Amino acid sequence: MNGPQAPLLELRNLVVRYGSITALHGINLTVQAGELVTLLGANGAGKSTTLRAISSLIHPASGEILWHGGLINRLRTERTVKLGISHCPEGRRVLSRQSVADNLALGAWLRRDKAAIATDLERCYALFPRLAERRSQLAGSLSGGEQQMLAISRSLMARPTLLMLDEPSLGLAPRLVAEVMAALSQLHRDGLTILLVEQNAQAALTIADRGLVLEAGSISAGGSAEQLLADDSLQASYLGAN
Amino acid sequence: MDAGLLEQMLLGALLGLSVYLPLRCGQLSLATPGFFAIGGTVAALLSTRVPALAGSGSTYPITSVLLEMALAALLTGVLALGLGRVVLRLRGIYLAIATIALVEILRVVTLNLEFTGGALGIFGIPQPFDSAAGYAAFTLALLALICWLCDRLEKNRPGRAMAAIRDDELAAASQGINTADTKLLAFVLSALVAGITGVVAAHFLNSWNAKLGNFDASITTLAFVVFGGSRTWLGPVFGGLLLTALPELLRPVGDLRLIVFGAVILVGPLFFPKGVITPELFKSFKRRIRGTPTAAAQGVKP
Repeated sequence: MNGPQAPLLELRNLVVRYGSITALHGINLTVQAGELVTLLGANGAGKSTTLRAISSLIHPASGEILWHGGLINRLRTERTVKLGISHCPEGRRVLSRQSVADNLALGAWLRRDKAAIATDLERCYALFPRLAERRSQLAGSLSGGEQQMLAISRSLMARPTLLMLDEPSLGLAPRLVAEVMAALSQLHRDGLTILLVEQNAQAALTIADRGLVLEAGSISAGGSAEQLLADDSLQASYLGAN
Repeated sequence: MDAGLLEQMLLGALLGLSVYLPLRCGQLSLATPGFFAIGGTVAALLSTRVPALAGSGSTYPITSVLLEMALAALLTGVLALGLGRVVLRLRGIYLAIATIALVEILRVVTLNLEFTGGALGIFGIPQPFDSAAGYAAFTLALLALICWLCDRLEKNRPGRAMAAIRDDELAAASQGINTADTKLLAFVLSALVAGITGVVAAHFLNSWNAKLGNFDASITTLAFVVFGGSRTWLGPVFGGLLLTALPELLRPVGDLRLIVFGAVILVGPLFFPKGVITPELFKSFKRRIRGTPTAAAQGVKP
């Protein structure tokens, strides 16, 4: 621990390889407690890889992942979940043959505090009332938007300090994207630290404090959400705006 | 029904459960006959070469059979623990191929070792029961115990972890489930069931040789699960019982029986892609008994 000044999460010169292919070429990133930081970029830029490295689903080739200033490079995933890092993977990945309630119970897998779990469950249902209506339904019978809400709620059930979301807007209708973003914004206002990976830069920057642009495994730009939204050249080259 | 056939059916059900256990976390392992063969070899060697186990009565003591089962379980469990660490890094069809290789290696080793009797095998395995009915009662009790344990496993924590891994391994891992250890647990349990089944089979068959754990057995035991279904433990039990009995029951049709047997295996998955026994079947059955709609039915979208 490096004292109270250490950021919640810090990546230093992080390099990740898949066999001979280098996915991340030494990226640096910090997330302060309470921030909503978005990581933007095109397909294959390394956004998902970054999240997977932080949650120990893959181990970095070199560099450092620091949590409250302590090194967490080579933990097992269940350790990072216990530390308070919850990763909501790309493509929703709800357990389609299990009920909504069972999916949410899975989110609280490593927790033993039954009373607090019940409280958090009610909080999730309050955040997404549609899940409450469908709690005994199979997750596979939900619509895409509802499945995304379930995936986010499942990650929240781990009661994370840092929530990492991988493209929650993927494949959703614009109205649902707005609904999901509004929910994330609400969580952020309630004090949750969020690292949001998105291709939908407009939607993400609207709710984020800061943004970083990842291009071919390196961070190519960064700044406050307002700066990035106002930067026409960035918009044109990376963010796919008209 | 002939008690000998019943005994074979019960052994089939046990082997079906052995294939089903890794499938509970989505792992297609065809190693069951390998561990079955190890269990049988352990029983054959111990009961024919260790005079102390024979006892003084006219029949071989059941306590000795239980001791053989414990040793077979220990051996197969330790072996599965070591091998599982390596082979379970493979997924899907690659795991299946690696486990087939495992079965073949074990078969060829057994075939060529002096002390396992080589190609001839081991004869004159002593009998703990006077009749096939005795075996059937013993095996039925064993099957009931393992079914009960499998039922527990569908509801308890390791079982829920297995179900989550089967449905989505990455999602399970990202929620903090230790996927490697959970898969290893299922693989070891599968080996234990196969190993102790082998012990019973060796005594029942009276002789044991390398051919009993071959590739054909891999496919047959897999058919039990494909036909019966892999979502609940009743599926492989049903598949194992029925598909073991079928060739015998079809004896009256003479030469056609293997064709009919093949047709059943082929047609089963066509009409019952999830197997004949599914959890949904249970639910609708329960609903019919109680006459009340279940929560799932009430929760259906308008």
